[in-house]
Amino acid sequence: MRRIAATRWQPYLFLLPSFLLLVLLIIYPTFFVVSNSVYFWNLQLSPVPLQFVGLKNFELVFTATPFVDALRNTLLLAGVGTFLEFWLGMGIALLLSINLRGNSLVRALLIMPVTLAPVVTGFLFRYMYYREGGFLTWLLLSVGIPVSERGLLGEESSALASVLVADIWQWTPYAAILLYAGLLSISDEVKEAARVDGAAGWRLFWHILLPLVRPTAAIFVMLRFMQLFNMFDLVLVLTRGGPGTASRTLAYNLYQEGLANYNIGIAAAMTVLIVLLVTLLINVYIRFAFKDWEW
Amino acid sequence: MALKPYQKLLVYASWAAVLLFFLTPIVWFWALALRPQATAFAMPPVFWFRPQLDAFYYTFVDPGINAPQLRNSILVSTGATLLNLPFALAAAYALARFPLRGKRFFLLWYLSLLMAPPVVYLIPYFILMSRLHLTGSYLSMVLILQTLTIPMSIWLLKSFIDEVPVELEEAAAVDGAGWFVRLTQITLPLTLPGIVVTSMFAFVFSWNNVVFPLVLSNQSTMTLPVGTMNYFATAGITWNYIAATSVMAMLPPMAIFLLLGRYIVRGLTFGAVKG
Repeated sequence: MRRIAATRWQPYLFLLPSFLLLVLLIIYPTFFVVSNSVYFWNLQLSPVPLQFVGLKNFELVFTATPFVDALRNTLLLAGVGTFLEFWLGMGIALLLSINLRGNSLVRALLIMPVTLAPVVTGFLFRYMYYREGGFLTWLLLSVGIPVSERGLLGEESSALASVLVADIWQWTPYAAILLYAGLLSISDEVKEAARVDGAAGWRLFWHILLPLVRPTAAIFVMLRFMQLFNMFDLVLVLTRGGPGTASRTLAYNLYQEGLANYNIGIAAAMTVLIVLLVTLLINVYIRFAFKDWEW
Repeated sequence: MALKPYQKLLVYASWAAVLLFFLTPIVWFWALALRPQATAFAMPPVFWFRPQLDAFYYTFVDPGINAPQLRNSILVSTGATLLNLPFALAAAYALARFPLRGKRFFLLWYLSLLMAPPVVYLIPYFILMSRLHLTGSYLSMVLILQTLTIPMSIWLLKSFIDEVPVELEEAAAVDGAGWFVRLTQITLPLTLPGIVVTSMFAFVFSWNNVVFPLVLSNQSTMTLPVGTMNYFATAGITWNYIAATSVMAMLPPMAIFLLLGRYIVRGLTFGAVKG
């Protein structure tokens, strides 16, 4: 490529505004959580940090808040959710790749759940899950599946799964549309050649199609796993993390400790831990997803 | 290969089943917004009723407590979209056009911001904004939304600028056109569809964001979904109102996605998958 920049510094000058604005926007929170993570500070007692406590807050994250439960729930949501959404989406993508009339209409309608704000999805499902008169509860009862008095969201055994169902409902179409695009980009010659070689059905899928949609799949898994890992909105509307800590996620635990209990010091320490964890995950993913990427 | 009629029927039946599963919750909620209050929790569910607009009238006209929230949602999302464009355009242009050092670092840094949990910003900003007496300002919401919109737009716009042949600019450079002329006369006009698509996604992103307005807005600046959530705080939840305001909150993103058509996949992967 010939040089089309005016000066050597021009590209960096173009990058500077966005880089600077974003650094400014995140430098304050970073400074805030790092410095306050070593102070005792409850916002209801004082508008400023109260006392230096060293690393005590990091200990309190584990002993005074259900951090371990939240971590387990979060990993469960992210792992199971990504897995189920991927494979259900793949199934739908394969169904859609059968070229019949009406295909584009189906895809246009299928994407609708993805357009909703996650809180709106929460409203939809809270209504559906209602013990008295909820549509989903009614469906379950009418096929003979018992639902307890507290409803699906009110039972410790089913709260987390019910949150997950709402998320799967919203994001499986996302997987389907992405993987459909991935399948579509595989040329007919490749499929034809595989067919000539005798690959059909399951073998065609497993040995030809799946490896070829790998780049798309990697992007989906990365984005979806992180979004699930950060899950907050749905939990806020559906269960508020309950009953007990049954559906509490890391993000909700942080919100609860900081903006409901006003323990800013503990919340700051928790933020440090979560950010370290997320940074680790993102780096692992990026290494995996962008392995063959051209920059 | 041609499908036999019964195979076609099978495919259509499976498509219908898929759509039934993914559309029922939405349609059921629309029905809630339109149905008489008494039928909201009837057992067995009431499928046939005379649709009425009472809930919309109550929430948006008289007394219309949610009407200002609809305006706030429009203001904040539009503001966030407009503010993000110049920043993102400049960066995307630089990343797409120039072989600069650290390109990979910059792109991954922006991407990692997109994947960071938004909740971690909440407490620091809640306290900062109250100290600065900016709590509840539109500006605070629009600014913090940039942590999402700018990285998203940079990635998406870069994918569009990548598709405009660099040879056009090189040819113009040979003819003596300066960088500003090349940018504004050649690349930007050819990227216009991409700019429109990116703006639409930035708008939907901001519109659907609830975490930031939840903490940073006040009674008079709260956005529509936050206002909807307030119905849960009152004793005796009126679900018809929740549904009516939610339907209003659903419509703009739905309309935008219908317009986006073949750009949906690209937008939802920030340009990583062309679709």
